[in-house]
Amino acid sequence: MRPDDDDFNEEIRGHLALSVKERIERGEDPEAARRAALKELGYIPAIRDSMHRVWYSRWFDAVTALGHDMRIGLRSLLRAKGLTLTVMVTLGLGIGANAAIFSVVREVLLRPLVNREEDRLIYIRQSAPGLSTENLTFSIPEIRDIQARAKTIRAFGDFSTIDFTMNGLRGEFGAEPRTIKAGVVNGSYFEVMGLRPALGRLLHAADDRPNAPGAVVLTHRFWSTAFNRDPKVVGRTMRLDARSATVVGVLEPSVPYPTDTDIIANIVTSPHHLGATMVTRRNHRMTELFGRLAPGATVESARAELTAIHGGMMRQNQEAYPANANVRLSVTRLRDQIAAPARTILLLLLATAGVVFLIACSNVANLILARSVRRENELAVRAALGASTGALRRTLLAESLVLCGAGAALGVVLAYLLVNVVGRYAARFSVRALDATPDASVLWVGAGLALIAALVLAFVPRLPSAQTPAGLGPAGGGVRITPGTNRRLQVFAITQIAFSFVLLSGAGMLLASLTAMQAARTSFDLQQVLVVDVANPVGMDGAKVIDFYQEVTRRIEQLPGVTRVAVGTNVPWRDVGRLGPGYRFTIEGYVPEVGEENPYAKFRNVSPGFFAALGVPILAGRDFTDADGRDERVVIVSQSIAQRMFPNGDAVNRQLRWTEAETDPDPRRIVGVVADVDDENVVPGPVLRVYQPLRQLPYGGRLFVHAKGNPYALVSPVTRIIREISPEQPVERAATLADVRAEVLAPERLNAFVFSGFAGVALLIAVVGVAGVLAFSVSARTREFGVRLAIGSTPRQLLLHVLSEGALLVVIGIIAGAVAGYGIGRMSMSFSPNLRLPGLLPVLSAAAVLGGAALVALLLPAARAARVDVLQALRSE
Amino acid sequence: MAKTNDDQRLDLLQGTLDMLILRTLLWGPQHGHGIGQAIRARSEDLLKVETGSLYPALHRLEKRGWLKSEWAISEANQRAKYYRLTAAGKAQMVREQDRWTQMVQAINLIMNPAPSDEE
Repeated sequence: MRPDDDDFNEEIRGHLALSVKERIERGEDPEAARRAALKELGYIPAIRDSMHRVWYSRWFDAVTALGHDMRIGLRSLLRAKGLTLTVMVTLGLGIGANAAIFSVVREVLLRPLVNREEDRLIYIRQSAPGLSTENLTFSIPEIRDIQARAKTIRAFGDFSTIDFTMNGLRGEFGAEPRTIKAGVVNGSYFEVMGLRPALGRLLHAADDRPNAPGAVVLTHRFWSTAFNRDPKVVGRTMRLDARSATVVGVLEPSVPYPTDTDIIANIVTSPHHLGATMVTRRNHRMTELFGRLAPGATVESARAELTAIHGGMMRQNQEAYPANANVRLSVTRLRDQIAAPARTILLLLLATAGVVFLIACSNVANLILARSVRRENELAVRAALGASTGALRRTLLAESLVLCGAGAALGVVLAYLLVNVVGRYAARFSVRALDATPDASVLWVGAGLALIAALVLAFVPRLPSAQTPAGLGPAGGGVRITPGTNRRLQVFAITQIAFSFVLLSGAGMLLASLTAMQAARTSFDLQQVLVVDVANPVGMDGAKVIDFYQEVTRRIEQLPGVTRVAVGTNVPWRDVGRLGPGYRFTIEGYVPEVGEENPYAKFRNVSPGFFAALGVPILAGRDFTDADGRDERVVIVSQSIAQRMFPNGDAVNRQLRWTEAETDPDPRRIVGVVADVDDENVVPGPVLRVYQPLRQLPYGGRLFVHAKGNPYALVSPVTRIIREISPEQPVERAATLADVRAEVLAPERLNAFVFSGFAGVALLIAVVGVAGVLAFSVSARTREFGVRLAIGSTPRQLLLHVLSEGALLVVIGIIAGAVAGYGIGRMSMSFSPNLRLPGLLPVLSAAAVLGGAALVALLLPAARAARVDVLQALRSE
Repeated sequence: MAKTNDDQRLDLLQGTLDMLILRTLLWGPQHGHGIGQAIRARSEDLLKVETGSLYPALHRLEKRGWLKSEWAISEANQRAKYYRLTAAGKAQMVREQDRWTQMVQAINLIMNPAPSDEE
């Protein structure tokens, strides 16, 4: 055990006693002996220190002294509760936001996937920028071509999604039949993905045989939510459409990409996957492709090889790759592909949180600076009593450590609460964000930020030096503010204004685009239309499907409060991409220009009355009737098609033909023209749509009910009627069109909300900061104002004087912010091309909001300056 | 007791204090004051150890594990810290004594060379 200072003292005392005793024995006078012994000993503290130094390093002493100072700092801060609280909250917000966002960033961008050797797992995508289709997916003939030639890929896994109506296994679900999303995969899929079962087994090559029994793997999420993690589910049988399949296992928790499905099934469970369309048609694209790099291959070599193979394949099958579709191939690591959409938004969030932290720091620096000016007397006294500069700095550091520690503690608590919120928010860019949990890293980030803040804050205040003993004025109470300190205060205030201006402009931009989307006009009767998913009935031939939907329509129309009922294929905004990217077509009588390729249109199946139910006007010709689609083939086209190809308005009665290789080449007579209905974009644009009667292609799946009263009151009678007609029919996701749109806009709203929240916090901190600086400057200049009043200034002039001083800070801050923001914007645009600079309106409104808020905050100190009492001010020193 | 004049005292050679302390403690446990007195007495008052160097040296030796200390009541009827040699301390003493002997021989060779070398 190390001896302490008491030991050293006692040892010295013992020495002294022995020394005195010896001298007395030698015959000296006791008093003289004592004095001589002391003299011989020398300077006692030096001896004690030399013993102390043997056992304790200088670092140990420094930390001990700091601890001592921190206890004093804590006590002195407890006396200044207002300041302490402000600093804690300000720093807590800054640190909390940073730590929370960092946790999510780490989870999404930095952590590897659970997949075995995930850095060798690649994702291959075909896109068609010409059709604005980001993910065209692959057809089976395309995959066969690529697979046959690729050397850099050891094995391919393919994955396509299809909806099944699931019945059976009812105990766990209740009695509701439901539509479940299935991924249909080949036998090597799981091997390629490098995933393991949580229970039972996954699918192997043996499950690929055409005579293999149906086998299904549950995803971990589906197993947890629908089966309550019941291990007995393995081995049970479920009915998928008309076939049945056995649950063979449960997949370990993993990142679902590109779509989250409920189950993953082998090919035989889906008759569609075995059909000729799927197997032979090059344009029948619905399959995602994954690959494992062969030994020695890199992502770059695989990209080069696959791009070359893809190019060759396109040249050999030109009819399937029209030039205006501009089909391309991309090869990326799966991890990067998953992270890509989240990268921009997360880095943006991280930058925003960083800026908020900077603002918080400069605000706190201001508070500390002001406090240290008030303490100049105390510091000067200490310096005069022999405290070294180092010791004074240590006092300041101790205090700022206590402050920042408290701020960090609050920040970490905030971060723990925020991680889940930010995670859910970021989850729509990358599902991985949901896995983010607050852990030790939050603590480290919080502690690190607090330490940085504490160091900065300890070195902000000016120390009294021997040359400027001004602080030791006899009055003591007066605060003197030196030009240097004042300039620092102003620089910090301007920094805060500048950064919050940048944040406000960004938030303004998001709000502006959100408002634009919400205000966008649609051609629908949003509030009164109820949409319901009624999956195409299973196991019926075409005529039966028509009968089913007709019966459903007829009986629901009889319900009180229902004005119209119709069947369609796409719920606006929700079913984006359903029925694919469209087909090329031509219309008899249209003369294309030289080299012009046939345009693409998407088709939709609708029942008679569809347009009326949605409130979409028919501009020429007529709606479908029940008689349509029986003998003659007919279509209705959207206004954009009619205007683009027949500007004179004579599109009706012309013959339209699909020109795709696999489409039916029979002509279809145009019987009507309807207003454009953009069912994919919230801000509608011109769309090329071809509508055909349900009877012509018996495939629907979506029910549209136009109601007089509250549409949601119809949900249960509608469900009951459908179940009466077909007990195993799923009836799901009932919502009004207004709510569907709100749901689609939710991410935008959340974006605007989150960034506005940040900007609001920044604004608050900055405004408080500027007002604080001014209030401080006013209180330090009471005497000056007194003199001004005495020589004839009016209170009004003083008010304006102080206001203009504050306004100058704000204006300089906004200009600095605009310059910095422009720079930052240009820089980040070079990293991420889909960023835009805000327009003039958001920038001007940001300036207005900032200016207005600052003005209100400045009124308080300005009014105080105007109320200065002349006599008191002059007497104060 | 005959007192040596302060002018005649010798300054301790650098690095020899540790050895002297270890050697002194070979006779048995002793407190700091006693060690100082012993060195002075045995050197016939030629060597005097300053308290300011003696105590840090004692603590340094203790920290290295060559000495052990314990509190006991001294002849002055007050608590004093008694130091005694550890086994490691004895070994160290032997090492230092060897080094010292070699050092003295080496210095002698230079300062008092054999007459044959002089020519």
